[in-house]
Amino acid sequence: MPQGTSYKPRRQGAYTHGQTAAASLFLLPNLVLVGLFLLVPLVLAFVISTQKLGSLGSPQYIGIDNFITLFRDTIFWETVWNTAVFTIFTVPVGMVIGLGVALLLNSVLPGRTLYRSIIFLPLVISGVATGVLGSWMFDQYNGFFNKFLHAIGITGPAWQSDGKWAMISLILVTLWQRVGFDMLIYLAGLQGISPDLLEAAKIDGSSAWQRLRHVTVPLLGPSTFFLLIMNIIYSFQVFDTVWALTRGGPDFSTTTVVTYAYREAFDDHGPQQLGYGAAVGVFIYLITLAITVIQWRFSRTRDEAG
Amino acid sequence: MTVTRRAFLSGSLGAAALLGLGACSSPNSNAGTGQTSAGQTSAGQGSTGSGSTKSVGKPSGTLTFAFWGGSAGETAGFTYAKKQFEAANPGTTINLKVVPYDGFFSGIDRGIQAGNAPDIFRVDYTTIGKYSKNGVLLDVSPYFTNAEIDQFLPALWDAIKHQGVPYGVPHQTDTTCVVYSKKAFEAAGITSVPTSLDSAWTWDEFSAVAQKLQSTLPHNKFPFAYDWTQAGAFRWLSWLYQAGGTLLTPDLSKCALPSSAGTKALEYTQSFFAKKWVPANNTIKTSTYSDNFFLSQTVPMTFVGDFLVPELADPANGYKGGDWGATFMPRDVAAASDLGGNAIVALKNTKNPDLAAAFLKFLVSEDIMKYFCEQAVELPTLKTLVNEQLNYAFRPDVVKVCAQQATTISDTIVKECTIAGFADINTALEDQLELAFHGQSAPATLDAIATKVNQALGS
Repeated sequence: MPQGTSYKPRRQGAYTHGQTAAASLFLLPNLVLVGLFLLVPLVLAFVISTQKLGSLGSPQYIGIDNFITLFRDTIFWETVWNTAVFTIFTVPVGMVIGLGVALLLNSVLPGRTLYRSIIFLPLVISGVATGVLGSWMFDQYNGFFNKFLHAIGITGPAWQSDGKWAMISLILVTLWQRVGFDMLIYLAGLQGISPDLLEAAKIDGSSAWQRLRHVTVPLLGPSTFFLLIMNIIYSFQVFDTVWALTRGGPDFSTTTVVTYAYREAFDDHGPQQLGYGAAVGVFIYLITLAITVIQWRFSRTRDEAG
Repeated sequence: MTVTRRAFLSGSLGAAALLGLGACSSPNSNAGTGQTSAGQTSAGQGSTGSGSTKSVGKPSGTLTFAFWGGSAGETAGFTYAKKQFEAANPGTTINLKVVPYDGFFSGIDRGIQAGNAPDIFRVDYTTIGKYSKNGVLLDVSPYFTNAEIDQFLPALWDAIKHQGVPYGVPHQTDTTCVVYSKKAFEAAGITSVPTSLDSAWTWDEFSAVAQKLQSTLPHNKFPFAYDWTQAGAFRWLSWLYQAGGTLLTPDLSKCALPSSAGTKALEYTQSFFAKKWVPANNTIKTSTYSDNFFLSQTVPMTFVGDFLVPELADPANGYKGGDWGATFMPRDVAAASDLGGNAIVALKNTKNPDLAAAFLKFLVSEDIMKYFCEQAVELPTLKTLVNEQLNYAFRPDVVKVCAQQATTISDTIVKECTIAGFADINTALEDQLELAFHGQSAPATLDAIATKVNQALGS
């Protein structure tokens, strides 16, 4: 500090006060929206899950009875299993394909912008439309796939009447829809990797696989972490595609936790037990929270992801 | 073309059975017609016959009427009614609110809870019990004389009653019949089909028809499809009633399953899958309906409601497999079919109950009901129209079959399908029939249905 110049603090108090007021003003709309559409419904979901509440009539407090019923409900546990299977087969597989496509389209490839757009396009189509499209494609008697297989002399599988194949059709449709998102995030991640690092590794004699395995993939950690969280949440909350594609059938083989909650609570011709549906919703919330916390806690790249 | 239903209704099941038709509508189900003659009892004029308890005077004001337009004909019918009503009653406005069927009742329920539900709405007979039981509907008994009530088919008027009180008006009915490809039947050597209820196929005869068709079809095509998909699961009950069984005990307090008739009906319908008489995906939880199978020519014969006749007869997107005809549901110990159709109801706390009642009466006045039924190809609920010739927009010959079939809907069917907890029962049927069609044994299925139904009934 120069001699003779006394440090005169700025009118920090007043300035900060003004800043705070302005910041609060800017934050207010978001806080109101978050409070109104996220926090209030979240709290209400917990409240309703302790009630016996039909679509009409007044609520009746029943404590944890809905959760006791839920844990004894064999169909519910079947839907949890289905959701787990769906998640296991959509999340890692989708991410691997997404990474592969991203690597391909990150290189010098003629028309790569067009390919990127084509692969990304399914993501902007609504889940219901995708499901309806899927139900046509996988129609086991008149759908594209089985007609195509028939044309080349293969008897197509029973996509709609066999539970395993119905789940596979659901996974395939979901992958078709989600790979574009994985690709996009990985592309962004790839473009953030300095070519110098790859070049240095190459000079050191590493193979292409080694560069991918030991340089590219670790540096994509934040993208992978982000995708893992987003995809797991998406897969756990899948509803529209399932509802339009299989209606949860055959039997309960493609009924996921959310479609089950919907049917129990909101289906016009279902039991319309909002309290029970809310209990299922709370279960989904807690599971999603637990997965996120575990990943956050143990992910080595979490700080970079933030 | 015109159709006379008088002859069909003269049997023992007659009017009561037709009434029953209206009760079991589903997402695939259309509401019936039900217009009262504007000249005879002009809207808003109150009751004119003996037993009238309330004169509402000249109605005025604005109300909202919410419905789903199951077809262009239905929307046209309601729009026509609105215009005619407003013209006949200056100073009134009926705001039409056309809402998709999916989520329709959830929206109504949220509106009721929030206090902003439409004043008047359409409701299928299997769902009306939920609203009447919860006390949210307008009791219309002050607005109808006994003479006016007598104009309705008794079973359908019963369908809108809860504990003896009428909530709303029975607007239209529909039911299931069998449609078939004449070309496929000819190829299979099936030279004649039943032309009257009395000559409807027995189960054995129906089985023989299915076998004949199967013998002429490739492996990826099937003799027929049935309309029990999704919320239409209750249509399986037709087989139970045909076998002489019932779902509930006579006092409607408990499930009447398991029973020998139940076992017979279930094993017979399970055999459709075992023998590959229906497509493997013609179960409950599927996105392919029985009409889709027929339109795609996966089956040459299918069970459909009369409200789907416009779709099948549509020149551009309808059936492309040549000429097609209609015949009756098979019968066993008895003939039976499902109760389809819709009522129109008003909210108890509507700001203008007199106007609401006037519009309800107008909707079921003769001219308006006639127009609606003709446009929507659905069955009326007024005796006078049942006995009259209607100029149906599409295939009146098929509607004639459905009208006859409607007489096989007994009082029992109406009562069982309109109880307050029917949504729970239908859910149990959806789950358990789906499992049964994939191999769950008949006794296990019937036991599970009974348990769930008794839970729904609180017994």
